Amino acid sequence: MGTLKYIVREHLDWRSQILLLAKADIIKTYSGAALGWAWALIKPVMTIAVFYFAFTYGLRAGGGVNGYGFALWMIPGFMAWFYMSDMLQQGANAVRKYKYLVTKMKFPVSTIPTFTALAKLAIHICLMIIVCLIFMATGHMPDIYWLQTFFYMLMMLIFWTAWGLFASMLGAMSRDFINLVKSLGTPIFWLSGIMWDVNTIGIPWLQKLLYFNPVTYLATGYRNCFIYKVWFWEEPLQLVIFLGLMAVMIGMAIWSYKKLIKEIPDVL
Amino acid sequence: MSDNPVVINFQSVVKRYKLYKNDKKRFLAIFSKKVPYKDKLAVNNVSFQIRKGESVAIFGKNGAGKSTILKMITGVTYPTSGSIDVCGRVSALLELTSGFDPELTGRENIYLKGQLCGLTNSEISQIEQEIVDFAEVDEYIDQPVRSYSSGMKARLGFAVSVNIRPEILIVDEALSVGDQAFREKCLKKVRSIIDEDGVTLLFVTHSTGTARQFCDRGIVMKSGKMTFDGDIGEAIDIYEGKKR
Repeated sequence: MGTLKYIVREHLDWRSQILLLAKADIIKTYSGAALGWAWALIKPVMTIAVFYFAFTYGLRAGGGVNGYGFALWMIPGFMAWFYMSDMLQQGANAVRKYKYLVTKMKFPVSTIPTFTALAKLAIHICLMIIVCLIFMATGHMPDIYWLQTFFYMLMMLIFWTAWGLFASMLGAMSRDFINLVKSLGTPIFWLSGIMWDVNTIGIPWLQKLLYFNPVTYLATGYRNCFIYKVWFWEEPLQLVIFLGLMAVMIGMAIWSYKKLIKEIPDVL
Repeated sequence: MSDNPVVINFQSVVKRYKLYKNDKKRFLAIFSKKVPYKDKLAVNNVSFQIRKGESVAIFGKNGAGKSTILKMITGVTYPTSGSIDVCGRVSALLELTSGFDPELTGRENIYLKGQLCGLTNSEISQIEQEIVDFAEVDEYIDQPVRSYSSGMKARLGFAVSVNIRPEILIVDEALSVGDQAFREKCLKKVRSIIDEDGVTLLFVTHSTGTARQFCDRGIVMKSGKMTFDGDIGEAIDIYEGKKR
């Protein structure tokens, strides 16, 4: 409990520097490339286009849902996944990437995953604005459910920041761990219902099992806002399970921070 | 000098590094205590006090534990046992790049470093030009730091460290880079901030001549232990092996 208090205190004391470093992180990612900011857009658009093509024309599996075409159905969940896959890998790499903050000056290490997560969130929000424009362009006007996106965004931010702290401490200790995380990206993507509708699984116990997948919960949450029009309190079981998993993740983050914070400067 | 407040207080500080056979073993050690490792005692039961305004040189051969002590003062690394109290803004020049982000430009790095040290934007813009002039990097200031030569990085690092108004300045062998003229400029700058602002200086070097110019106290380290703490002249004699 003391460690959690300490981490929160560090975040409060360094809040302005956290925002500054988040900004610097974004600038760094895109400056120096000829197309600059466009890259933040090109990668998701390309990926979505390819998957749309493969599913609609190749596998012929893409059907519309709830009066929305397959592409529109796919996009919100996919956007959530982009954020999560970024955080999965770059969260684990965060402390290693910002080595100089750990070994060359006194800096609160626990805030490194936080500003990484915030930098990614800023890009995610820009992408979500484009998603809204796409929906409006195709004749789906904003409604009250769209606002719910902020709830899922917040849940996603907290969960993946905790993951970032947990994983980046272990990632700083060992490259094996980073490689392990990298190899998990694709399996998680295919198991989490980013490309297929979880609600259409015919096997009840398997569907129940997927409630325990936080990636599924968040991706489906984004679709609840744009496609299914369901409030988060209308699915209390899923919500409670997700919050439980979030608590476990925060617990793991604290464990990993407490265990490794004194060793990391000597190892990096 | 002896009535000035103590700014750095080391109480029987021990630093032990755990050396594992490889990264895999170290990773496993997080989950199990049974993984074997070798103990390396880098700093062995060291105690000293440094008062405000003192200039102290730390001598010792490679691996004597000097850099570990400086890192612990900076707060970058933690002691295994013992206690360390430091009060005041520490500006450390540990190694050449001294914590620049290689992807950001020199100017962006000045702002980043300044803000991380607790300065406001307006304070930084006041010293910005001074830093740029001092570092002599000219038009490179708006280029990413990764494109800098090692000399430029060191000059910029030094310029930032001395200009952000430190209360404790830690210089680790950094003055030995750059050409003769720049080195003299650095020494002059260090001299002036010691005299004018009452900065506490900690200086790690192999160059006993420079140390004699700046410091009136010397600490000699030998394989993790402090073998001498006192007058600079005597410290140099012991370090150079003239006296035992």
